[in-house]
Amino acid sequence: MKVKMISRNPDNYVRETKLQQHKMPRNYDPALHPLEGPREYVRALNATKLDRVFAKPFVCNLSGHRDGVSCFGKHPKQLSCLATGAYDGEVRIWDLANRASSRNFVAHDGFVRGITYTQDGGRIFTVGDDKTIKVWKAEAPEVGEDEVPVNTILSKFGLHGISHNRKENKFATCGEVCAIWDEKHNDPLKTLKWGVDTLHTISYNPVETSILACCASDRSIILYDQREAQPLRKVVLTMKSNKLAWNPMEAFNFTVANEDCNLYTFDTRKLQTPLKVHFDHVSAVTDVDYSPTGKEFISGSYDKTIRLYNAHHSHSRDIYHTKRMQHVVCVAWSLDNRYVFSGSDEMNVRMWKANASEKLGVIRPRERVNFNYQEALKQKYAAHPQIKRIARHRQVPRHVLNAQKKMRTVKEKEQVKEANVRKHSKKGKVPFVSEKKKHVLKEEV
Amino acid sequence: MSDDEEHYEPRAHKKLLQAIGSLGKVQHIQKSTRDERQSRQDEFQLVKSVSSAESERAPRAVGLNDLVDILRTSKHSQAGKKLKNVQGSKKVLKKPLEKPAADRIKRTIGYEGVTKKLGRWDAVVAQQRSAETQIFPLPSETIYVNTSASARPLNTRIKSNLARELEASNRKLRELRKAQIGDTTDEKEVAKQERILHQKKLTRDELFAHRKELAYLKMRESQKSAKARMQNKIKSKKFHKLQKRQKMLEQMKEFELLQKTNPEAALEKLNALEKSRVQERASLRHKNTGTWAKNLQVRAKYDKDVRKDLAEQLAVSRELTQKKQESDSEEETSRKRPAPEEEENDYDPFNPWTKRKTAEEAEKGKGENEDSNWRQYWTKRNRNEKLLEEHRKEMEEELQHDEDQAVGEEETPEPSSKAKPAKKSVKKSKVKIENGWQVEEIERTEPEKLKGKSNTKSIDDIFEEHEDQVRAKLSEKMETLKERVNKLKAAPVKEKKAKKKDALQNLKSLALKKANQQVEIDEPLNYEENVDLQKKIPDQSEDNPETKVTPAVDTIDPNKVTTLVVTQKKTISGGINDALIDDEEAEYDEEDAATERQLTISQAFEDDDIIADFNRDKTKDSELKNTELQLALPGWGSWAGAGISQAVMERRNKRLLLKLAAPEKRRDENKDNLYLNESASKAAREHMVSSLPFPFRSLADYEASIRAPIGRNFVPETAFRMLTRPSVITRKGQVIEPMTESELVKPDRRLRHIVDRRIKRIPKVPPKAKIA
Repeated sequence: MKVKMISRNPDNYVRETKLQQHKMPRNYDPALHPLEGPREYVRALNATKLDRVFAKPFVCNLSGHRDGVSCFGKHPKQLSCLATGAYDGEVRIWDLANRASSRNFVAHDGFVRGITYTQDGGRIFTVGDDKTIKVWKAEAPEVGEDEVPVNTILSKFGLHGISHNRKENKFATCGEVCAIWDEKHNDPLKTLKWGVDTLHTISYNPVETSILACCASDRSIILYDQREAQPLRKVVLTMKSNKLAWNPMEAFNFTVANEDCNLYTFDTRKLQTPLKVHFDHVSAVTDVDYSPTGKEFISGSYDKTIRLYNAHHSHSRDIYHTKRMQHVVCVAWSLDNRYVFSGSDEMNVRMWKANASEKLGVIRPRERVNFNYQEALKQKYAAHPQIKRIARHRQVPRHVLNAQKKMRTVKEKEQVKEANVRKHSKKGKVPFVSEKKKHVLKEEV
Repeated sequence: MSDDEEHYEPRAHKKLLQAIGSLGKVQHIQKSTRDERQSRQDEFQLVKSVSSAESERAPRAVGLNDLVDILRTSKHSQAGKKLKNVQGSKKVLKKPLEKPAADRIKRTIGYEGVTKKLGRWDAVVAQQRSAETQIFPLPSETIYVNTSASARPLNTRIKSNLARELEASNRKLRELRKAQIGDTTDEKEVAKQERILHQKKLTRDELFAHRKELAYLKMRESQKSAKARMQNKIKSKKFHKLQKRQKMLEQMKEFELLQKTNPEAALEKLNALEKSRVQERASLRHKNTGTWAKNLQVRAKYDKDVRKDLAEQLAVSRELTQKKQESDSEEETSRKRPAPEEEENDYDPFNPWTKRKTAEEAEKGKGENEDSNWRQYWTKRNRNEKLLEEHRKEMEEELQHDEDQAVGEEETPEPSSKAKPAKKSVKKSKVKIENGWQVEEIERTEPEKLKGKSNTKSIDDIFEEHEDQVRAKLSEKMETLKERVNKLKAAPVKEKKAKKKDALQNLKSLALKKANQQVEIDEPLNYEENVDLQKKIPDQSEDNPETKVTPAVDTIDPNKVTTLVVTQKKTISGGINDALIDDEEAEYDEEDAATERQLTISQAFEDDDIIADFNRDKTKDSELKNTELQLALPGWGSWAGAGISQAVMERRNKRLLLKLAAPEKRRDENKDNLYLNESASKAAREHMVSSLPFPFRSLADYEASIRAPIGRNFVPETAFRMLTRPSVITRKGQVIEPMTESELVKPDRRLRHIVDRRIKRIPKVPPKAKIA
């Protein structure tokens, strides 16, 4: 009698070594997966929900300052190092890995206006309200030694900001004039002036390192070249710009934080219209900083919130706030693109995750694959209304909500009025002006 | 008073006058003398030059002539001569421009330089933006450059005899030196020196380059300043007139060229010219109200030429005003009927939606909601069809032997076997010549003409007629324009703006289309307004889980309906395969997509009578709803076998007949053009996309992107890894440096990851569109 039985070749299903993964025989014929679309949709929906569940961006609070935090200085080489300056002239160096202040000293009388590290991270430059530039060693002094500046430069002019060139041993300060300094000299190499009272922020282009830009008190943004004897160009906006940040990956783009609740991204070569207007803040934007990938930036505002923007979008992708955080004065994006920092009026420096729901710590390869899949699914179904709704839902403080409502009402009213005026006047007399063009008054040569 | 006059003393008076006269001449501030080099001139030491009268008394400053004189007499007569010659031959430098103007020029030049320098990054940035995956920190590749000075001779194993000899002699020489002079130069030091020399040489070269650049800048500056100085000096009206004429002529030439190559751009240009004319008119020149004209009017009585000038001027103004009215009327007519370009792309003559919206429709369009659109669509379509039917009948009556082919093609209820080839030919012609098919005209001009003039006209004739009209209008416009040019009257005000090129043009043209488009959502975050909605939705999904999700796309307009029909066919084939293909196809340029959309519509409407289908569907639905159910099963109840009387059976069957409730009326029963899908679940609607998300241009593309699964349950592992690769990859604990200049010259990255390599190996579809 012949016995028929199913026989399987062990070569087909037994793995050769333990390290190999089990083979998963699959049939990818789409006819066998009639519900692949719906299944993926549900997965995307779940991923989105989980994303919101795990969205806990707040990492830690660094307390120690005895007055409001006024400025940040990022160490160009060490990720765990951050320098902060306060209103009382104190500078603190933070050890971010241990979430502790590693060093502190009083640098200036009055505000510390700006901090910057040298290109190699060896020294720190600070400027303050006492019209001095002080140079400090980046390493803490030996036990028993006093904190003394390596060098103190007395400036003729008031100082409001400082920025260091990324390639050369030069730095620039702003105040009454824009001055270019060499690290080894106590006099500025040159001073650049263009009939403005105060320049309150300065920033070197990190890519084209000879170009720099200032924001001035007459609502203008001025471009300089450190090699030229004259400023290059000036563009005047409707309101004052508070801070300026260059895109580290796109040499010609920069973003300014403006007093009128918006941020503007400009292309240096086409200043008459901004490339993008970034809305959503409800009060003056005080600071802006680009992520090192150049794809996003962070902005802090007087409305006590931080917002994260995609550099090419006009609306923010996320908003961070806590109950105790007051007016945000300065923000920074860490150089490994993982964290953001905010310093605020109430003396605290806060550290946040750049991606609210990102998992900290070790991620196993399979976990990583799963995260990637979830990310791809979210991206794929991003336009579906339910997913969009969940992904973009945020709780915001009551005052922000109210302010937003108010702003919306005002805007609507203006639009209605304009439409009415247009309706009742001669054709073409009331032109349509795009939102971008409304905010730039003029470009001066 | 009279006393004073009497006591007039001429001498005293003279004295007084002298005293007064010399008042201004007294130099209170001494002219400064410099004994030390100063970087800054003190403005307070800049004294007025002393007047001639004063200088007679005071010792005169030493001039060049004095020097020359002295030199001539002394033994340096040669030098004196040279100096004299120099004085004679060399020009005195011009007075420099005023400070603000000079500064402005400097700034402009500086800015131009910076702009140019920044432009270098365009390509890199464009490439970065369009990259599928970006890895940070930017992988830095060391580049080795073989500069000849530092290059070493080849260290070969096999050496010629000569080389060997040379080496030996060199060695000997060195040893000798060491022994005799105590030459202690060792190789390393020599190499070091060489390197330093090399560096120096480089710096020297750099210096030259720098100097050259500076010279160039200086040259540019001087050019600009000269130009700036010149510009306002020229008072000649004739010059300006000539300049204007030249510009105008240039524009005209450009326009003519454009007309041949790119008619659309030409039309735009024409409009721009028209606008400049209008602006000139608005400036109210050529009226006899200016000062020039008024002066002429005074002189006109006596001077014939002047009179002529004035008359000319008046004529010009009259012409301009007349022209304006004419153009106005033109505008109106053009508003009434869409511009020829707009019509060209249309295809389906019945479908009022295949044509692009005219400007005013676009304005209106936003306010209308979906349903009314539907109705409009069908009413319009029906009307069109009816009209065409009438027209056809009439034609058939009159000339049956040559039935018009063109109409036949468009007729929908034709046998499909016949229609297909015809269709193809139509398609081809469409692709080839666009202006041949201005099907649009049927709708408006045809009915009038049919009723009014002659019924015998075929559609082709009508089209031709219309085309002629358009052409005539264009040429008319051209003529007037030419006249104007010849007469030379317009001020090209707008010109500058037109010429100003877009600064970011380069970046835009370099921008690549992403092979894999992804949805971009740029909306404000939603805050608490939606809270109640959020609560509601989970409940619904719990209620009916089986109706959960169909990630199909909500249908809004017939374009989409028809494409959906097509895409459903596609789903039968492998999803992943056509997704990959579709991704590549996403590179189509917009025009292609547009034409394709048109084609798919027509294909969908190809061989079915939509209205009939539509009504059939509707009735079928209601039939299903209103049937009675027979619950009796064969054999049931007939336990005793066959032979039971029919009457009993019938009675029983009647009992088992399940009567449903009275037939419901369809909600769209009285609405001919409306079909309300009553079986669609409302819960699912909330999960459907209502509009095409941003970067997508065509529904087909978006559907393809959604249709293709990416999970590892549905696609092979490698494909899964490819499809889920994140767009930005960063590494923990690594500082991401800003971009450096090495990025500008970097070769392609060597791909290490297997997925990367696989992606690279996928053959790219040859780009259809030219790189603009």
